[in-house]
Amino acid sequence: MKKIVLSCLLVGSLGWSFPSLAQGDYPTISQLNERLKTLGNQSTAELKSLTKTAGGKDIWVLKVGTGNLDEKPAIAVVGGVEGFHVLSVELATQFAEKLINEHAEKLENTTFYIFPNMSPDAYEQYHAALKYERRGNATSVDHDRDGTAGDNGYTDLNGDGFITWMRVEDPMGDYKLSEEDDRVLVKADRSKGEAGNYLVFKESKDDDQDGKFAEDLEEGIAFNKSMTFKFPVFEPLAGDIPVSQVESRAMLDYLFEQWNIFAFVTFSPANNLSSPLKYNAQNARKRVITSILQKDEAINAMVSGMYNETISQKAYQQTNQGTDGDFFQWAYFHFGRLSFGTPGYWTPDFKGMDNPEANYLAWADSLGWNEVFVPWTEITHPNFPGKKVEVGGIKPFVMVNPPFEKVGEISEEHTEFILKLAEMQPKLEIQNLKVESIGNGLTRISLDLFNNSPLPTHSEMGERSRWLRKIRIDLNAPADRLISGEKIQLVDSIDAFGKTSLSWIIRGKGEISLKAGASHVGFINKTFNL
Amino acid sequence: MKTKNIILALALSAASLVSTPSTAQQKFFQAVGSPHMPKVEVAWNRYYTYEGLVDVMEKIAKAHPELAKIETIGQSYEGRDIMTLTITDFSTGKDTDKPAMWIDGNIHSNEVQGAEFALYSAWYLTEMHADTEFIQDLLRDKTFYITPTINPDARNDFFLQPNNANTPRSGMMVLDNDGDGEAGEDEMDDLNGDGHITMMIRKSPTGRYIKDPLDPRRLMPVGPDQVGDYEMVGQEGTDLDGDGRINDDDVGYYDPNRDWGWNWQPDYVQRGALRYPFTLPENRAVMEFVMKHPNIAGAQSYHNYGGMILRGPGAEEDVETYNREDIRIYDAIAKKGEEMMPGYRYLTVYKDLYSVFGGELDWFYGNRGIFTYSNELMVSYLYFHQNAGRGNQDEQLKVDQLLTFGDAFVDWESYDHPQFGEVEIGGFKKTFGRAHPGFLMEQDAHRNSAFTIYHAYHTPKLSVMDVNEEDLGGGLKAITATIFNERMMPTHSSQDLKYNIERPDYVSIEGAKVVAGFVVEDEDFKRYQEQKLRPERIAVANIPGMSAVKVRWIVSSGSNYSITVDSAKGGKASWSK
Repeated sequence: MKKIVLSCLLVGSLGWSFPSLAQGDYPTISQLNERLKTLGNQSTAELKSLTKTAGGKDIWVLKVGTGNLDEKPAIAVVGGVEGFHVLSVELATQFAEKLINEHAEKLENTTFYIFPNMSPDAYEQYHAALKYERRGNATSVDHDRDGTAGDNGYTDLNGDGFITWMRVEDPMGDYKLSEEDDRVLVKADRSKGEAGNYLVFKESKDDDQDGKFAEDLEEGIAFNKSMTFKFPVFEPLAGDIPVSQVESRAMLDYLFEQWNIFAFVTFSPANNLSSPLKYNAQNARKRVITSILQKDEAINAMVSGMYNETISQKAYQQTNQGTDGDFFQWAYFHFGRLSFGTPGYWTPDFKGMDNPEANYLAWADSLGWNEVFVPWTEITHPNFPGKKVEVGGIKPFVMVNPPFEKVGEISEEHTEFILKLAEMQPKLEIQNLKVESIGNGLTRISLDLFNNSPLPTHSEMGERSRWLRKIRIDLNAPADRLISGEKIQLVDSIDAFGKTSLSWIIRGKGEISLKAGASHVGFINKTFNL
Repeated sequence: MKTKNIILALALSAASLVSTPSTAQQKFFQAVGSPHMPKVEVAWNRYYTYEGLVDVMEKIAKAHPELAKIETIGQSYEGRDIMTLTITDFSTGKDTDKPAMWIDGNIHSNEVQGAEFALYSAWYLTEMHADTEFIQDLLRDKTFYITPTINPDARNDFFLQPNNANTPRSGMMVLDNDGDGEAGEDEMDDLNGDGHITMMIRKSPTGRYIKDPLDPRRLMPVGPDQVGDYEMVGQEGTDLDGDGRINDDDVGYYDPNRDWGWNWQPDYVQRGALRYPFTLPENRAVMEFVMKHPNIAGAQSYHNYGGMILRGPGAEEDVETYNREDIRIYDAIAKKGEEMMPGYRYLTVYKDLYSVFGGELDWFYGNRGIFTYSNELMVSYLYFHQNAGRGNQDEQLKVDQLLTFGDAFVDWESYDHPQFGEVEIGGFKKTFGRAHPGFLMEQDAHRNSAFTIYHAYHTPKLSVMDVNEEDLGGGLKAITATIFNERMMPTHSSQDLKYNIERPDYVSIEGAKVVAGFVVEDEDFKRYQEQKLRPERIAVANIPGMSAVKVRWIVSSGSNYSITVDSAKGGKASWSK
């Protein structure tokens, strides 16, 4: 089966080409559903639909593991956080496939939750007759707050099936041609006295006649702009309240009941793996915390180092370390879990160009990707009578998603990264165990509970959260036999390679059992024969 | 069919002729400002369970079908219907076409009397409508949406299960409060079975307290050089989960008033918050109702206690959200409230109480631009018209001695405790202190209702005040219309304007051919702002309180035209030639 897919890839088109070919391109929703259902039939995986979106599409979660899944530390892998980032869905799905088919031994110690696609309504736009980079789901939203929902979306002015850009020649315009590449428009730098000669808009008409273009899109709320952390209230695609959509609520409700997740890996535009988040003392001290905490910065740096060793592509222009209302920051700041994010793919540094589009085009030219740019072509535009209006620009999707045949390698490396992260998970052990008779039928049990891991059991943020459990130590001894020491003890956190020391005095003979741990740390059991 | 109806009508009118007036004359005489022969008899000196509240609400809707409708706006966590009464004069227009006042109570389940107070408003408005011109005008112009309890599950728990005056504050969802991985495994125990969780004390040779020889209910500390004979053991209860703490994992804990979606923060920032805003089905039902009723312009959410008229911001970080223009209106209404409710003070949550995120009043104002107060009902001033302060034990003991004759206190009684040996259990009942005693309820309910009526009265009231025509020659004429808002609240609060929360107000002309349309910025200096698209329907950003806006059209024909105003929060008005 794998070979067949591989050979299909080879005969499939190289480089970018639209329309898509069945096996040589990112899958459709129904193709994805088939692959997920195949995985769901495996004994180690359970596929569950958490809800259906306004567009009628399933929000899937694959829970993968063996034995007592809920008592092993878990990693959640999330894709489709942005609907236009079709690569992320493929990376999450291929991770699930590789995990289940090739790395089943990892399930002995770790449980995985895979959310392959959180924006299926928007994802579909990739395969639609009219293609554009879409973020919002299928609900109806009045983004420009004029009283009518979605009344100024895009228009395919040149009829090529893509929404690109339009530029209007205008001496009052604020854009000019880039000196690096005259296909690209850049903002005129007024501080340097530069004049502009173009107005630039997304390809559209002023349907609601308010003087603005494409400001009230025919799409709903964006998953990655409507979480609670720094929620951009009333902004387009965000809406009036955070977590307003059924898919967001269904996912969060599910996550809040999975106590064993210690880390998230999110495939989305935000990147704290190429370089870690920076601690800012002032923002970390405020009541509403907006900086990673100091101890967690060190963890982020360590994991980032491991990522850069594992991933062959060198970071370039990876400046997005979180945007308001996004998922990646939510997982850390509001859910208290370690949260790692990467887009998985970016344009490499090519001839050192500053402008990302110019850099991309130069790179694409060098590879012979001729299909990625729509040459500027004049059209007549109803809102600009008597003016020269041209439609063109870089096609949607191509800058954030590589040609499909490149996905295999990216997926291979990122799978390796996630599995290495799993190796680092908190791990409790008993060290320095002493069972000593202290006379008169009394026995003292003392031990160190050791965390044999480069990660602490709780991130600094996680320690503050009520949604992570404390480490609980139960000594199963009848009350009349427990002379000193507590039957139940709670420990807030154990450092990386750190310990907590415990002791009890027990009267009499017979078995005494110990259970210690927490869902996201794992549990150990020990029996003492006194 | 027809004849049957006539007969029925005759029978009814005959019955009323015979019975109603005569009994009234014989038995009752009206006291000023209260209905003496209400269609729905309600005792206002007792509390009502959820079922009791719904029963009264249904009776009101049945007795006054032209003024009241009852509906369910959603279900609670345990599946109870959240019931809302819509009160307006339906014969003068749909409820949604009129500026509206939202009233709820009991978001904190132990803060019970907000439900009775809200219900009193519904009862009073419907029962007094027939005889009071002011209320006739009010219900012609305005709508009241009244939801006595938005926490029905835990309301019943407060009454019917063992509790103290502070429990439960949340709803009935059970969470892991002590972080041990189990939820609700150490709830409160009513050891003496009286329905009240009181206190436990124990005789001890090293105790620091004695019973007051003049009042054995009162436990008093001994001097620093004296030996006492009692120690405090704590709340009535046992350690059910064996972790050495009593009652440390009961229902909750979460706070329904930290669950609202304006600048919401998680639990580690704002204790009591849940997963995300509107995790609670009760709050979600209210939110969805408010979103579907953009005519809601004012709101009141009743709490207890302390005698306060609270406005936002709840959080210090939100100081910028409330700007001067709106605060002027908040101040004007609440200052009047201080006069109407002796003992109540007008305060701002973040600086006078505590700084909290996720409160209901902040969502109503921040997210919907609705002028909102939370009244903290019951203040000790009501006892003896003195300001003894919150939780003044000496005053409370005196109240119970002189006014409630011992009914507020569970006397100390010995109990054989499994963990502490012999203890004594006693203390104030859950229904005393925060809740009104029966004899103070009706008066305070009336005063608070009067305040919400005043608040509702000052939601916008729009009219087309004046229409002027000017002949411009060449078959053209200019029509200038003045739209007046004769109440204090604007159609759009400044928060609303800042974020374009609600659509603009529309002033439309029909029956004339419009060539151009304008908002008049300055009539004397002829400064006009032209609206190029759809000039026959001028969009006005706001109609401020006690002020007018003017719109102007240039028309080429039409002499029998009409002008209408359509505002989400300001209602509708029209004028025709």
